[in-house]
Amino acid sequence: MHLSRRGLLRAGLATSAAAALGGATASCSVPSGSTGRTMTLWYWTGGLSDKTVAEARSRYTDVDLKPVQIGGYFRSKLLTTMAGRAHVPDITGLKGEDMASYMPNADQFVDLRTLGADRLKDQYLPWKWDQGTAPDGRMIGFPIDTGPVVQYYRADVFDRAGLPSDPTEVGERLNTWEHFFDAGERLRKRLPGTYLLSDLLSIFQTVVNQSTKRFVDEDRNFIGDQKHVTDAWDLAIEARRRGIVSNLVSGTPDFNSATESGKVPSQLNASWAAGDLKLAVPKNKGKWRVALLPGGGANNGGSFLAITKACREPEQAFEIITWLLNPDNQTRGFVDASLFPSTPASFERKAMRDPDPFFGGQVTIDVFGPAAEKIPIAYNSPYDIALQQPIVDELTKVNSLGKDPDQAWKDAMRKCRRIADHLGVS
Amino acid sequence: MATAPPIAPPAPVPTRKAKPGGSGPVRRHWRLYLAISPFYLLFLCFGLIPVGFSLYLSLHRWDGLGKMEWAGLSQYRYLLGDSQFWHAIGNTLIIWAMATLPMLFIAMVCAVMLNSAVRFKNFYRFAYFLPNVTSVVAVAIIFGSVFSTNFGLANAVLEGLGLDQVAWLNTPWGIKVAIASLMTWQWTGYNAIIYLAGLQTIPTELYEAARVDGAGPVQTFFRITVPLMRPVILFTLVVSTITGLQSFSEPQVLLQTASNSSTFAGGPDNAGQTMVLYFFQQTFDNNDFGYGAAISWGIFLIVAVFAIINWRLVQRKGK
Repeated sequence: MHLSRRGLLRAGLATSAAAALGGATASCSVPSGSTGRTMTLWYWTGGLSDKTVAEARSRYTDVDLKPVQIGGYFRSKLLTTMAGRAHVPDITGLKGEDMASYMPNADQFVDLRTLGADRLKDQYLPWKWDQGTAPDGRMIGFPIDTGPVVQYYRADVFDRAGLPSDPTEVGERLNTWEHFFDAGERLRKRLPGTYLLSDLLSIFQTVVNQSTKRFVDEDRNFIGDQKHVTDAWDLAIEARRRGIVSNLVSGTPDFNSATESGKVPSQLNASWAAGDLKLAVPKNKGKWRVALLPGGGANNGGSFLAITKACREPEQAFEIITWLLNPDNQTRGFVDASLFPSTPASFERKAMRDPDPFFGGQVTIDVFGPAAEKIPIAYNSPYDIALQQPIVDELTKVNSLGKDPDQAWKDAMRKCRRIADHLGVS
Repeated sequence: MATAPPIAPPAPVPTRKAKPGGSGPVRRHWRLYLAISPFYLLFLCFGLIPVGFSLYLSLHRWDGLGKMEWAGLSQYRYLLGDSQFWHAIGNTLIIWAMATLPMLFIAMVCAVMLNSAVRFKNFYRFAYFLPNVTSVVAVAIIFGSVFSTNFGLANAVLEGLGLDQVAWLNTPWGIKVAIASLMTWQWTGYNAIIYLAGLQTIPTELYEAARVDGAGPVQTFFRITVPLMRPVILFTLVVSTITGLQSFSEPQVLLQTASNSSTFAGGPDNAGQTMVLYFFQQTFDNNDFGYGAAISWGIFLIVAVFAIINWRLVQRKGK
């Protein structure tokens, strides 16, 4: 084909005109939310039971419910979309660990109290309900699941070390950190090369999660240098000193193989980690058990559904989310997607009481249920993540590189002070 | 295009021709400018405006959704005294050097071998290029296994040689070696193909003349191949500098753990935390978009310094 110069120019002209036109039309036709009867629901893979979502689509036909699974870093994608004020989902999932960072902008979401959320309040765990509520009382997150932390342990390894191996007995006899550490020492002496836990980070994080305070309080004061954090730090350091933690990093291939061979026979982790465990060490089927945590209840993760300001039919959206998250559907969420219910009524449902063959036929809800009800209520600050990081970094140095703990604590506090200053936290 | 002689406007526009001297090159060649405008418009929209906005953002505090608060130069002042940022610069440069120098050397050796008559030449070219088009994430997961402490290939080799195990992903230097070797593995083939193209432009007479003069293969390599390949080597150096200073996925995937700590922390002592990783941690973990923007300008300055050094090297060659 011969292309003349003029033809080329015309083609270029047409292209740029199209680009300009496209830009212009795009800028005035982008909807701030959904269009027509469409109602978009954003969540992440495994964030809701897919079967329940599919059923909601056929159940609510007044709107065209469009579930979208967003991959990758969920919060950054949601923030970007909301900041761009275009194609904002009507209903969106909010991850528990991100909740605090949405709170300063609670006005971007519909206050669920205005839609009558309060009448459902007594069906949900009170601490979970409070977590979805901003300090000014505005309720933005409707509870999906919770993450009660428990101890997972290998019954066969505990048996060989002469430790209790029955879940009730473990929960009762390893009920304090002191007893837990004693058990760890005994384990190491009886079975050399075996460590109770992979690293000291999980102890630190669990102990902080057991407290009613975290790193920054409601008045923007840094409280990461107070007793509830120093206690957690000291316990983590003591665990290392007494030689009950390995220097493996959890999640690495080394850690997985040590878990499978019983070299690291215990984990402190949330209910949802049961699914990860089953995937990581399928050969261990029947050997693991679940018991209550030493030192009290703790929560890790668990998410919410929220209605954004862009939603044009909040009543309809509210009806959908309350149906998705009612006690019956939460039971299904647990069976389909290992989402631990935030509705205590679900604990009694028959499907929840099925013995779990991976856990040697244990009825795990008997541990998870009480663990979920014991969780302390802590204020989560939007600055917690930034101010926890230096402490975690220094603990990692102690764990992996053998840094002197006193020096590490000093360095962590020095960094925290600097970051606090920068963020306007006093 | 810019140096092409001015094109007279097509005949059927007499009024324009009548204008004495025209009115500036823009008016005279508006059609040409219009023809190349899509690029500029798109660049303006997706390049320049975001760049300008990030500069504006770096003078503010912003959590991504709420109101922006004017912060003046305080983000930059904080950046200058931020030891972790300097640490991240150090990490990036060390990893870049550890990856690039062996990479370019091995690539050159591979290219010379490919250039000499071997069978299955096309197969080798394909095989060398394959790592480059493999997903970084997949590669990083494989390298995570290779460098695992108890069961990794790297330690199996060390033990086979009678040496001690190294906890690669759990010590600062081990982490850097692991990241650098991943980058080397991925980019060596790409550079080898480019060198091969360069080698094929060197006239064979030069080699023949050298052989007649009694030069051995090593001498030929250093006296003929390397000097004539200089522009190509500079090109690969520039490309590796650009990719090396932006390394992100390699440490992020290699060092992410299942525990609750940040996936952008870069392992013990933040040894694998590159500049871009640190930028991500501040922006998306801490919701500190203003500071994130300031860090990205810090990264820009460092990349600019390297670009100038590279440019100087290329200029000197021209003399």
